[in-house]
Amino acid sequence: MKFKVENGPHVKSEETTSKIMTRFLISLTPIVCFAIFKNCLLNYYYSSVTFIEAIHPMLMIISAVLTSFISELLYFKFILKDTWENSFYEINRSFTIIPGLLLALVLPPNTPIWLVIFGAFISNILGKMLFGGFGQNIFNPALLGYLFISVSYSSLMGSPLNAYEIDTLAGATPLSNLSNLNYYGTYEEVVGSFGTFLNFFVGTIPGTLGETSKMLIIISFIYLIATKTIKWRIPVMYILTAFIMTLIIGHNIELGIWYALFSILSGGLLFGAVFMATDPVTSPITPIGQTFYGISLGILTIVLRFLTPYPEGVMTSILFMNMLVPLFDKIGLYFKENIKKIWILIILFIALIILSVTTISNNIKNLNNENASNPLDNKVKIVKKEKKDNETIYSVTSKAWGIIKADVKVVDGKIENISITDSSGETQWNEIEKNDYINKIIERQDDIDNVDAISGSTYTSDGLKNIVKKIIESELEDEG
Amino acid sequence: MLRGIKLDEKKSMSFKDEIVDFSVPNRVYVPLINANIECECTVKKGRKVRKGSIIGIRKDIDFPILSPVSGTVLGTKKCMYLNGKEVECVVIVNDKNEKVIKKKLVKDITSYTKDEFVELLKKCSVTGMGGGDFPTYLKYQKKLDILIVNAVECEPYITADAMLVKLKSEAILESINAIMKINKIKKCFIAYEKNNKIIEDSFLEYIDNYKNIVLYPVKDMYPMGWGRYVVKSVLGLEYDKYPSEIGVVVNNVSTIFAIYKVLKFQRNITKRIITITGEGFTEPVNVLVKIGTNMSTIIKKLGKYKEEEELKLIAGGPMMGVSLPSDNVVVSSNLGAITIIPDTFDEINDCMSCGRCLNVCPVNICPIFILNNIKDVEKLKKLHPEKCIECGACSYICPSKIGLRDAVKIAKKKVDKK
Repeated sequence: MKFKVENGPHVKSEETTSKIMTRFLISLTPIVCFAIFKNCLLNYYYSSVTFIEAIHPMLMIISAVLTSFISELLYFKFILKDTWENSFYEINRSFTIIPGLLLALVLPPNTPIWLVIFGAFISNILGKMLFGGFGQNIFNPALLGYLFISVSYSSLMGSPLNAYEIDTLAGATPLSNLSNLNYYGTYEEVVGSFGTFLNFFVGTIPGTLGETSKMLIIISFIYLIATKTIKWRIPVMYILTAFIMTLIIGHNIELGIWYALFSILSGGLLFGAVFMATDPVTSPITPIGQTFYGISLGILTIVLRFLTPYPEGVMTSILFMNMLVPLFDKIGLYFKENIKKIWILIILFIALIILSVTTISNNIKNLNNENASNPLDNKVKIVKKEKKDNETIYSVTSKAWGIIKADVKVVDGKIENISITDSSGETQWNEIEKNDYINKIIERQDDIDNVDAISGSTYTSDGLKNIVKKIIESELEDEG
Repeated sequence: MLRGIKLDEKKSMSFKDEIVDFSVPNRVYVPLINANIECECTVKKGRKVRKGSIIGIRKDIDFPILSPVSGTVLGTKKCMYLNGKEVECVVIVNDKNEKVIKKKLVKDITSYTKDEFVELLKKCSVTGMGGGDFPTYLKYQKKLDILIVNAVECEPYITADAMLVKLKSEAILESINAIMKINKIKKCFIAYEKNNKIIEDSFLEYIDNYKNIVLYPVKDMYPMGWGRYVVKSVLGLEYDKYPSEIGVVVNNVSTIFAIYKVLKFQRNITKRIITITGEGFTEPVNVLVKIGTNMSTIIKKLGKYKEEEELKLIAGGPMMGVSLPSDNVVVSSNLGAITIIPDTFDEINDCMSCGRCLNVCPVNICPIFILNNIKDVEKLKKLHPEKCIECGACSYICPSKIGLRDAVKIAKKKVDKK
């Protein structure tokens, strides 16, 4: 009898790529279910949205997944000129729906469907297929799609708040709220506006589709670790680093542990750490590389959150670090051979953490000291003032997201007209116009402190409100 | 830290109460090879030989190859050896009289001096029966403190060592005792897999008589039977090239039994136990065979292949064994098993960079990086493929079913050449 000759080993483990990816998808199911529950069911129940508006988040997920599937299928069929049968077989092996699904989960619930489709298409084609398909891509495909649409169409991305949240909440996500407060506030201001930590844990806070329920993310995380599906070192080190850094920052600005807890429970940190940073293809292979990759992600995210106007920082950090994966593997290989020199690396990273933590703490202190002396002086500047009889024309600049320039006409001590001469720095300007916000603040100029900011464009709203406040101040001085 | 993999052992399949005796073949084909070094034939066609007659010699160390039967030399013939290659073999027609050169029975096997012992091991052509085929006398030339008996049969399916221990535990302990006395070794550890209760129970029956012999269960993991791992888990020590550097000698349990025979009868070992097993064979069992037997004659008598599926026949266990095109393989002292399993079709995918191959590698190298840099010899050198022991854990664990061990083997050759 003839036997088949083959190189060994002649037994192989039961584990396969497709089983790993299937488990990854399983771990995302509760998160998808919660996203639909929170953004569709609760929204329909608590607010007066129509049925179509209510199922919008669900349509986002479905369209993203379908786009991923179809775009990759067509790529195989028409660009790579496979047969239909072969194309179906290939997309089966390349786990095509994952980028689309992840993309939908990092988008705010009000993102237009066409934008989601565009993003998913970019994710799969530009982020994955053009690199050579599954296993070849440098960047996390979903994040590349996210980057593309958030840079080119940021104003269209939509507010992270659902209809029922707009009525009840201050009008921002917890992180943009924190950044509006100049990263400093009481527990009441920072956490209390959104309920308690239980809300953060369960997920009934505003945010993107998938990121809000930390409880479910943690459960999925445990499942993924127990089944050895993901590289556990990356998320553990990522979250740990972010926690320790904000703990020290909190200590430096005399706030409690809740501040660090708030930092890791708000925004996309947990979601990104568990589902995005661990993407096997775009993360280091060596254990040492993975450990320091996680630490670097933590440092970068905290630095981006606290030192730039972008309140989130997770997606950007992961995308940036994706580029450095080969470097971290080199580091991992080097220190595997020279394990005794690892303290060099440890000292380097501790120094990096201390440096960034001190800078951030000082920055927060400065920001809030400035505010204490006279908050408005730093934000609004009167460039020109022309007086004619009972009429005064002010030219002012106001710090908002960018700088707003405006001419304000005051008659008899009352603001009559604000004409904006430059609003190009404001990404969410269309929200202001949509809400007729300028007329609103003119109407309620005597009660300006109680005018709500527009959700999704709080910086701009505050910038405009500050103009009114400053003019009133200046008019009072003139009278007095 | 010891790295490795957990395997489905499937040992109960072949472990029966009795072994089947096939030790009277009509002809034997004794391979003229020792530790992969070819040996020269020293007998001519028509020569009468007895058990223990020298029929070949390994020139570099003057190491003899001995006849396992008495009978007439028929000449030499190329036959398939357990590594799949054709090797020159001495063909002897067995006269079934089992005549020996010199009949002898030593009553007190501890009465040898160390020099006599080493000389006898060489004269009787004792080699490592665990697979290495390394001449055993070389291990005993230095001063030794500790003997470790390797009964860690970590390959799945195989039960040959367990069977031997079950049948001969008393003789094995006697042999260990003699080796210790002769070499002034103070302590002996018998290492076996924690879950292998057969080995444990068989030794427990007699071990109370020997104070300095300790049963030492090791982690139930593959490749736990690798010499370095055994030494490391028993003693917590590492060594550079050979365990004798730290005064340790490691012997397979079958080799210990071979030494028993040598000390008792002053002649070579002529038989061994081989496991014939696997899902592709109807009668998995342990058999007692003469060295040099053609396995096909035994398998034919024993049972049938399950021919519905395409089968693989492996000399040795499924992890480190070599798959052979036919069952015409000759028995050598280092062949422990014939495993016949259905061919499984594994779909190979692109590497997803999961890093599992790094986590299981017992020598702590990076198989996937070696594969990725296979063309760049300079980079390969830094990745140390020469450390590889070819255990196959990386290929086993890979979810994309990439042949990582093959790649590392190629890299090993490339680095060796430069």
